[in-house]
Amino acid sequence: MELPSLTDFFARWRAKPPVPFSVLFKKFKSILERNNAILGLIGDMGDKLGGDYIFDRQYILDSCEKLGDQVFKLVSDLSLLCQRKNVGLFTAFERISHQIREELAGRRVLTRTDHILPLCDLTHDLADEGGNKMANVGDIRNILGFTVPDGFVVTAGAYFEAMERAGLRARAGALCDRFERGDSANWAGLAEAAAQLQKDILAMPLPKGLAKSVKLAAKRLAAEGGQFLAVRSSAWGEDGESSFAGMYESVLGVAAENILTAYRTVLASLFCEQALRYRLHRGLSKEEPAMAVGVMRMVDARVSGGLYTYVPLLEHDQPMVVSAAWGLGKPIVEGTAETDTFLLGREPPHELLSSEIGLKTTRLARDAAGGTRTEDVPADLAASPCLDKDQLVLLAKTAMSLERFFKRPLDVEWAFTSEGELIVLQARPLSIKPKICTPGPDVAEATKDVPVLISGKGVPAMGGVSAGPVHIVVEGADLADFPYGAILVTHHSSPRFARIMPKCRGIITEMGSATGHMATIARELRVPTLVGVSDATRILREGQEITLDADHIVIYEGVVEALCRYELGKEDVFEESWEYRTLKRVLRHISPLTLLDPDADSFSPEKCKTFHDIARYVHQRAVDKLINLSEEHREIKESAPHRLVTKLPLGLTVIDVEGGLRRGAPGEIREEDVLCRPLRALLEGVNASGMWETCAVAVDMGSFMSSVTRTMTASQSHPTTLGRNLAVISEEYLNLHLRLGYHFTVVDAYLGESVNDNAVLFRFMGGVTDFTRRSRRAGLIAAILERYDFVVKITGDMVTGRAKKHPEADMLDKMYMLGGLIGYTRQLDARLGSDDDGRRHFEEFVQRINALREARQ
Amino acid sequence: MTNEPIAPDAPAGKARTSILVLDDEAIVCKRLKPFFQKAGYEVETFGDSGEALARVRERRFDVVITDLKMEGLDGLAFLGKVKELHKDTDVIVITGFATLETSRESFRKGVFDFVAKPFKLAEILDVVRRVEKERGLTP
Repeated sequence: MELPSLTDFFARWRAKPPVPFSVLFKKFKSILERNNAILGLIGDMGDKLGGDYIFDRQYILDSCEKLGDQVFKLVSDLSLLCQRKNVGLFTAFERISHQIREELAGRRVLTRTDHILPLCDLTHDLADEGGNKMANVGDIRNILGFTVPDGFVVTAGAYFEAMERAGLRARAGALCDRFERGDSANWAGLAEAAAQLQKDILAMPLPKGLAKSVKLAAKRLAAEGGQFLAVRSSAWGEDGESSFAGMYESVLGVAAENILTAYRTVLASLFCEQALRYRLHRGLSKEEPAMAVGVMRMVDARVSGGLYTYVPLLEHDQPMVVSAAWGLGKPIVEGTAETDTFLLGREPPHELLSSEIGLKTTRLARDAAGGTRTEDVPADLAASPCLDKDQLVLLAKTAMSLERFFKRPLDVEWAFTSEGELIVLQARPLSIKPKICTPGPDVAEATKDVPVLISGKGVPAMGGVSAGPVHIVVEGADLADFPYGAILVTHHSSPRFARIMPKCRGIITEMGSATGHMATIARELRVPTLVGVSDATRILREGQEITLDADHIVIYEGVVEALCRYELGKEDVFEESWEYRTLKRVLRHISPLTLLDPDADSFSPEKCKTFHDIARYVHQRAVDKLINLSEEHREIKESAPHRLVTKLPLGLTVIDVEGGLRRGAPGEIREEDVLCRPLRALLEGVNASGMWETCAVAVDMGSFMSSVTRTMTASQSHPTTLGRNLAVISEEYLNLHLRLGYHFTVVDAYLGESVNDNAVLFRFMGGVTDFTRRSRRAGLIAAILERYDFVVKITGDMVTGRAKKHPEADMLDKMYMLGGLIGYTRQLDARLGSDDDGRRHFEEFVQRINALREARQ
Repeated sequence: MTNEPIAPDAPAGKARTSILVLDDEAIVCKRLKPFFQKAGYEVETFGDSGEALARVRERRFDVVITDLKMEGLDGLAFLGKVKELHKDTDVIVITGFATLETSRESFRKGVFDFVAKPFKLAEILDVVRRVEKERGLTP
């Protein structure tokens, strides 16, 4: 449909230029509309990650398709407007679409052709490449910030390549099929086939490139200090929804030169009979198995052990259990060593409930020649506890942080080095389920009589349940003393809370958006979060114990045990579902805005990384084009005046579509010539005394000018040619694109005869200051817009406010306020050094503009 | 540390509103089940319309929540059968593609309400509460 008309259009264009301005203007308008629709869709998709919505696979597929279609049309529209083919932009579109399609198909484009994934790059988003177990380790290191051994993963992709080249992949698939169909009479035959396959894997040659890169990575890792390596299985599904605990092989104390043998050993264990039967039992036989392999530096452990965050012991209330012994952890995990056993409370201060000190006469140690050896423990150590109280509390806190993140009771393997550093070796979900997690009465019954403090107020930015004491953070408060395990209650959301999120159990804010920066970080760390809970800081008291249920939007008084346990016992963790992970992954190619500065060289089609970038690029080019047209197009140039001389240097080019300017006004028009009502009101607000000068830091006109002109060429910045901002107007319509410094503002207003048609859209984005300041600014602008009855949405640091169907006088008042806001927020980032500044600016702005509004009326 | 069976339901005698959810997108069932359970409902979920129908033949539910577009017996046919078997079961349709035709057809078959996917948890809970109110199921 699109193509023939495109060709026609070009043909017409060549045949009889120029295209009437009205046609081009229509195209411009359709670009703006489409741009709005695209940003709306992107915002909607982002909302779905908040945990508030039920969405399915179809939704993800449909949204991506709809969005792709709109973006394609947007690019086509720009081609028509500019009469250029825009090959670069179509290429960028195709590149991004391809990435999205690959994500949807579950095919991760392997950027590492050497199949080596350093642990520092691994999180759950790469679980398909790194396997679940190592992805967990990656999350613990990279998201939660705990220490894990250094290392890398040989990816699942490497496994496929090796098996394929050795001609074993098909055999492995056939074997899994046979197991699925296998009857008990044939077990012996199947076991034999499995054993043979394992033998062949142990003997298979590895592709040269793979062998080389694995050896190189191992050599580097070993040489950096640890000498010996631990080679661990990390199969698809292992330690995820299924555990496969202990079925696959781990090889300890491996010297770098023996890495390939150890690698093959772990690969072969994928087909041990026990694991194959387990797969069958769990109904996993239809999925092709794959083995990623983790290679980590051996920890020289003084003490090691395991920790269960939850144990089903009736005589104690909610204990966690720690087993510990001297030396390396393998015999402890395997249950062959004598250990100390400690029971600790799950809640801070993690009281020691009981301790049982074993006689630990031997320990496993690294052998200087490679591998490990069992050695005697000095007599004085054997009978003494191998952990002190501080170490136990540190372990308990760490384990509870992990549990909150993984949302399940966990089995954590850990070690203390001789320097006393705690190292997390791995964490896997414990398969203890409901009975302990939902003891006694049904969960709904349990909450029935609990006093509800707040209900139905706010939006979940991250679902889940958590309980703890309230800690109210006032603006400007020092976050360093945020108490471990508390629930953060505060007025504004702010990404500066990222620092304390690992310590806090939940977040409740009075303002903020489920798609803002803080929400994104909360989701990354899986901290249950409610935003927009009005009066939370008033209703909740410092230190008060509460239970936050972000899924049901309820805050209970006290700790509701049953609810917390129910949460831990849930079979499925939403954040681990295909739908959640996939939406999050595709949004990475859709939502972030990386093209920030239209004057930079990087503002080009080639640099568009996301659909949002493309939309931003097209928008800017369309505005530029229209300004050019207004200067050069015959119809416009000869008749209409177009440069507006304003009291403040807005550099505004005005295109009057109908009745927006006084008839017969000269080429250079003045504010008095403007008849467009929304623009008049807006200019009044811009000019209103005090809206420019009242900033906390004095900014004189000279520095303002420099911010406008700093990246423009000398000729462009000359006052007579400065005019790169655009207003398209009629008597009742204003469409304004204003770039001041690095900020980009769009105002679209229609104030007609019927109240029902009245609508104002205000959008604000850009800025090159840091993430926190931009986010503060977004919060401030959103708060101000909300104060004046705009419906506000924040996506990243882009703020969109809409007001509809208010009477004209009201709408003009809003335009006046927006004018003031544009002046006030220009360069504001620099002055938003703290959240406190944000609050102060909010109050200052509201106070000043209200005084002006009253005087005006 | 062995796997223990799920704890028994609440003490008998307290009648709770029962809900059957049918959707072939597993994620919908996986999320609605704990959500409604926590809100105090008795919930069973199905990914296959045949199995769901077999269950409806065995027992009556107060509320049936079903998708429209599915493999095999589709949602429209399923809700028709449900209404045939239990007149007083209220059916809520959740669907991503509601055409005028399907919605007209659904209402003709006595659907209680339509909820477009994707929906907020609070939305679907509201509809269920409306059913309870109209049927006098709430205490």
